[in-house]
Amino acid sequence: MRIGVFICHCGSNIAGTVDCARVASLAAGYPDVVYATYPMYTCAEPGQAAIEQAIHEHRLDGVVVASCSPRMHEPTFRKTVERAGLNPYMFEMANIREHVSWIGRDIEANTHKAAELVLLAVEKLRRNRPLYSREFPVTRRVLIIGGGVAGIQAALDCAEGGIPVVLVEREATIGGKMAKLDKTFPTVDCSACILGPKMVDVAQHPLITLYAHAEVEEISGYVGNFSVKIRKRATYVDWSKCTGCGTCMEKCPSKKATDRFNEGIATTTAITIAFPQAIPKKAVIAKDFCRQLSGKKCGVCAKVCPTGAIDYDMQDTFVTENVGSIVAATGYDLMDWTVYGQYGHGRYPDVISSLAYERLMNASGPTEGHILRPSDGREPKSIVFVQCVGSRDPSLNRPYCSGFCCMYTAKQAILTKDHIPDSQSYVFYMDIRAPGKMYDEFTRRAQEEYGTQYIRGRVSQIFPNGKGQLTVMGMDTLLGKPVEITADLVVLAVGIEASRGARELAEKLRISYDAYGFFMESHVKLKPVETNTAGVFLAGVCQGAKDIPASVAQGSAAAAKVLTLFARDCLASNPQIAHVDNKRCVGCGKCVRCCPFGAISTCTVRGEEKAEVIETMCQGCGLCTATCPQGAIQLAHATDDQILAEVDALCQI
Amino acid sequence: MSNDRFLAKDALGDFLCHCQGLGYTVYSPQKQEGVRESVVFAPWQKGCEIQLAKATVSPKHLLLPQSEVLFRFRHEKGEEGKSSAVHLEDTSQQAQPTLLFAARPCDARGFTMVDRPYLQGLYADPYYAKRREGLCVLTLCCNSGCESCFCHWTGGGPSSPEGSDILMTDIAEGLVLQAITEKGRKLLAQSDLPEAGAASDQATELRRKAWQSLDKAPDLTEAPHKLKELADNLDFWTEQSRACLSCGACTYVCPTCYCFSISDERRFSGMEEGVRLRSWDTCMARHFTEEASGHNPRALKAQRLQNRISHKYAGYPENWGSFSCSGCGRCVTHCPVGIDIRHIVLAAIALPDTQAKEARS
Amino acid sequence: MPDIAKTERRIVGFLCNWCSYGGADTAGVARANQPTDLRIIRVPCSGRVNPLFVVRALLHGADGVLVSGCHPRDCHYSTGNFYARRRLELLKHFLPILGIDPARFAYTWVSASEGQRWQHVVTRFTEEIHALEPAPHFEELEPLYLSQRQSTEPKRPFMPQPPDLLAKLKEEIRTHLPELDCVLGWQKGRDALHAVPFFLRQEEDLERLSLDATCHNSLVRYLPEYKGKKVGIIVRGCESRALVELLQEGLIAREDLHIFAIPCHGLLDVARLEEELGRYQHLENLVIEQDSLRITVDGKERSFSPQAFLRSTCLGCASDEPVLADTCLGSFTAGESTPVTAPELALLDGLNLTERLRFWRGVMDRCIRCYSCRNSCPMCVCHDHCIAESRQPHWQSAEHSVTEKFFFQIIHALHLAGRCTGCGECQTNCPVGIPIFALRAHLNRVIAELFSGYQAGRDAQAVPPLLSYMVDEANIQEREWQ
Repeated sequence: MRIGVFICHCGSNIAGTVDCARVASLAAGYPDVVYATYPMYTCAEPGQAAIEQAIHEHRLDGVVVASCSPRMHEPTFRKTVERAGLNPYMFEMANIREHVSWIGRDIEANTHKAAELVLLAVEKLRRNRPLYSREFPVTRRVLIIGGGVAGIQAALDCAEGGIPVVLVEREATIGGKMAKLDKTFPTVDCSACILGPKMVDVAQHPLITLYAHAEVEEISGYVGNFSVKIRKRATYVDWSKCTGCGTCMEKCPSKKATDRFNEGIATTTAITIAFPQAIPKKAVIAKDFCRQLSGKKCGVCAKVCPTGAIDYDMQDTFVTENVGSIVAATGYDLMDWTVYGQYGHGRYPDVISSLAYERLMNASGPTEGHILRPSDGREPKSIVFVQCVGSRDPSLNRPYCSGFCCMYTAKQAILTKDHIPDSQSYVFYMDIRAPGKMYDEFTRRAQEEYGTQYIRGRVSQIFPNGKGQLTVMGMDTLLGKPVEITADLVVLAVGIEASRGARELAEKLRISYDAYGFFMESHVKLKPVETNTAGVFLAGVCQGAKDIPASVAQGSAAAAKVLTLFARDCLASNPQIAHVDNKRCVGCGKCVRCCPFGAISTCTVRGEEKAEVIETMCQGCGLCTATCPQGAIQLAHATDDQILAEVDALCQI
Repeated sequence: MSNDRFLAKDALGDFLCHCQGLGYTVYSPQKQEGVRESVVFAPWQKGCEIQLAKATVSPKHLLLPQSEVLFRFRHEKGEEGKSSAVHLEDTSQQAQPTLLFAARPCDARGFTMVDRPYLQGLYADPYYAKRREGLCVLTLCCNSGCESCFCHWTGGGPSSPEGSDILMTDIAEGLVLQAITEKGRKLLAQSDLPEAGAASDQATELRRKAWQSLDKAPDLTEAPHKLKELADNLDFWTEQSRACLSCGACTYVCPTCYCFSISDERRFSGMEEGVRLRSWDTCMARHFTEEASGHNPRALKAQRLQNRISHKYAGYPENWGSFSCSGCGRCVTHCPVGIDIRHIVLAAIALPDTQAKEARS
Repeated sequence: MPDIAKTERRIVGFLCNWCSYGGADTAGVARANQPTDLRIIRVPCSGRVNPLFVVRALLHGADGVLVSGCHPRDCHYSTGNFYARRRLELLKHFLPILGIDPARFAYTWVSASEGQRWQHVVTRFTEEIHALEPAPHFEELEPLYLSQRQSTEPKRPFMPQPPDLLAKLKEEIRTHLPELDCVLGWQKGRDALHAVPFFLRQEEDLERLSLDATCHNSLVRYLPEYKGKKVGIIVRGCESRALVELLQEGLIAREDLHIFAIPCHGLLDVARLEEELGRYQHLENLVIEQDSLRITVDGKERSFSPQAFLRSTCLGCASDEPVLADTCLGSFTAGESTPVTAPELALLDGLNLTERLRFWRGVMDRCIRCYSCRNSCPMCVCHDHCIAESRQPHWQSAEHSVTEKFFFQIIHALHLAGRCTGCGECQTNCPVGIPIFALRAHLNRVIAELFSGYQAGRDAQAVPPLLSYMVDEANIQEREWQ
């Protein structure tokens, strides 16, 4: 082979703690290396051009770039060498930035280590073989998990782009958290007015199949060809018959059911339609509260239903959908704030979450938009907002900022003044985070035009004062003295957490999640909606805290990724898959047993049983290669010989 | 009168030390503990226990090491990796003079069978030649036959001198050393061992008795002819090889199996360097004759057993005029499934000519 | 060699591309300072890490090896790390019997977001490796030779086969022979002490059928050669388990077999008897009784206690009950699950790590790489395609170095992990008597410990432990890295 080695300075990122010229000079002595140099920025246009030129000039048939992580620029340089006529797999990277220059300051040690990592890459490259992708057809349908605003946006954009969409929503209605909001910041326009039409569009779009009250049970397959098993949870109402007339709700004798849509500030009936604009507008029976389903005699809803839609014997059903791509848009849930003793562990009815407060303010909420205290139905005059309840709190292992609480609190303070002109709002805050367009202006309006009193500090305790009010004790850290406020109502800006079940879903999707359950994007900056699993994209808060405009933008971005993926009729397969050497295979079936993807079957070759890799199913994990005792099944680009050469390169020098 | 010398048992160590003083590396049978005792030829050092037992594995590795470096190669580069040259280091003349103590006549005869193709063919193998030239063989005669060995069938015997420089006879209180070659005579002359005198007669008598103790050897003169007839008789060989496991025990313990494989083994030093190895190979393994195309002329163990036996009793005799089996019996004792070369050869001879041909398949 | 190379230790890391490699990147991006000793090899998945890579590195001079993958449940390939966890945990328990300090090897899980955790793991592991001596050079160790003739009481006392068993067996075979291609049994070889495999085809062959405690070969070894043909086979307990393993691996078909199961109360260690007998010319008589073993050679009768000449590999055998049989002859002992430790293993158990490594350095040196151990093993199903001889993949050099020889035994043992039924043929057939059964016996012990008493070949329906996993492993305590 004729190998060229490029030791990147990466400006001072690498050259600051690695003697790149020395590494290049050592590399020049490595086997098959005929050219070694140390450019300033290898990934920049001149750097890439230099690689191409060197390939031609020195007749290189393999290239090693020692620079940043291959997770960053391996695709870049594979394209570079391909442009110069090499097979993209005749390329190896040595990570001398993230794994060397950035983690140690000893130049001698770093240089030595970098040189060895280059040797490792050279020895690997010497055993590389050109690999060629194959084309395989794509199922041009997309699954979107979660019908919040991000999922809705992604669904509509995909459908508008001509891609059939399967939208799965866990709740009985789409709309997500945004559907619960009264108004949105910073424009204070009506949430329902801007989301409602989109929800209707989803319902009416001929290319969108909506499964509400459903969950993803199993996912198999790979980019372009996923198979998804969806569990349609029993609603006990035949939705094909239900017209959403609401008669059942009026007559249902069980009226103490938890109203989840209204965040528990009111109760509802056992059979219910979440809210008037629900999509689909269909009734669902909450099994735990239904008398009939609890074994008591009732059956009222069945009697009154004009279409006979009630079905008490309904079971969960399953449906399998084949799609080529998946967008996860599972949003968030509020953390359980009742862990906080200083806020009363949830014992005081007039200490509520901000989302519950949205429902109090909302015209379609249980109070029809009148702000009334949950305890006695009186209109509160003094309202205290507490920020960062469960956000930025390392003591509860919640160090992250929930992102949008500062803004909605300002909005809620403004709206409170609108609703109750003689009220006074107080906001206990840590910092005001208002970096968006028109955001800071908005928080100023809350203070300056609406007289909201912002107190920089934390609340230390809330307790009833015995006169039907709450005493809120806190510290004003700007004045440096304690404050005590008598409040009629306390609204907690409760921090967010990954949606319940997010981790399990990530495991089904084979994507990563962080320590808090938020899904991992492929690259923090450059691939914010991609994941490490090809064909799976992210939208909205499931990836991390963000407000509505950002969620919508990500929904559209994910849709754009789906449309890009589907712009071709066929996808190029990953050629880094396992291959069976029929001469060596004895057909013992160990690989078949452990392949996570069922990608190995057996076939008969000249009367002998042999393993056979189903190319489109193989994902290239290499478990089979590690399992096969006779080394008959080898993962291309990570063969035994390649890894052994790397081990030997490290252990024999 | 003979020039035999007497080596008292308690003077063995001194004698071997003396040989070391002459520049020899001394190998002697040594017992090594294991699941059971194993007697192997290993370098002898002062203080090592001296064993006279027949070794488990033949001393063939003194002439044909399990693996040996034929040459070392190194690809050297100049400045900036530009100019380059391949350096080869010849290792053919590196062998040191070696003294083999207490081999058995079958071991020594084995050397002569390896000598022919390695020294007397078109090309003498320089690696082998150098080691052979430096090897001095002191052979201990067997005082009796043994159920598994059959040296006298193949032209040898318990005191056969072939391949030995000195023949030693164990007369209980000591060994009687009789020089066979010039090299042996010189070694004895350089020693201060006393003349054997009467012990020499005692030794002669013991050797005669050893011969007498042997069962009558069958006549194997027909073997080459019969085995050639049987070459393509797959039924015969399938039957004989049914139990064969295709391991290499028979060939690796054999004093006369000399087949090898050549391979280059890289050293991962950051340079292109490595060694070309010659290492033992076994014709009983499938890959021995596997061709690059995947085709294998001896894919069946029947064909491989046929090859092994026929080589020893037909092919080799045709080229070199003697069997290439010294009858040491190690293949018989160490075969995990008890395949007995004696039975196969006798079965071949016993087969009437017509049947051997007719049964060709 | 730069000076730095003298102060560093050689630490090799195998990191999965998706989580841990990303975690190391994250640590880099965060400028999380780390020791410089570690060299990272990027693999697609921790499941790709063959434990043999780890042993290879450790035998060739690595002071430490660290494997890191995605957290359980979070594998990019969904289950790769579950398999890795079992295999690497097994390896961790295997290293000590080789004489390699298990502290030199660690495996863990680091996600792509856990830069800090990665920094902590690397720093801690590197400190631990520095706290150890540099890894010993196997080749340069002084050999340690020890006798393993310790007496261990057999689990079940030796008994000869009942006198009528052979006759009954012959009758049964006679009945079934017409429908069978052949029946695998034993006959006497060159003398009464040496039995050999026997392939009965015709009724007159029955005359030569032999059955006693010298008939050691595992006939199961031959079965895959007869795939597609109807064959009969005589099996004892351990052999019936090997047969089950082959069935599990689909290498033989149950319907093709007629299994004649016979009881077994231990086999004789013929090699040790030969040692006692010394050189002889004619073996005239062999009588095997419960309390006495009488052998007449060259006109002299010698008497031995059969209990003292049992094969060491049989001592720990708890049961001779066949797992599968079509024809059962004689009565069997049902097994209990705590076998005694084989003497060769007990010997190693009594040594410290360095002594064990020196022990292997001594005994492996005389290995002639004949591969009798492998080729007589009923579970070595790769037969002609063993990686020991293959050039691609090139696991083993042709060099007859003691490291290569030892590495082969490690390959063999690890390939048998969870599959070895403990017949001991590997050791029995070693021409130079290397106590390799100890490695298998140890792994069997570890497998039972880690996987709820699993024993290979006890259940045809069982999934071998290394080819399955549990999301929450009952007996694997993962390291916390606090």
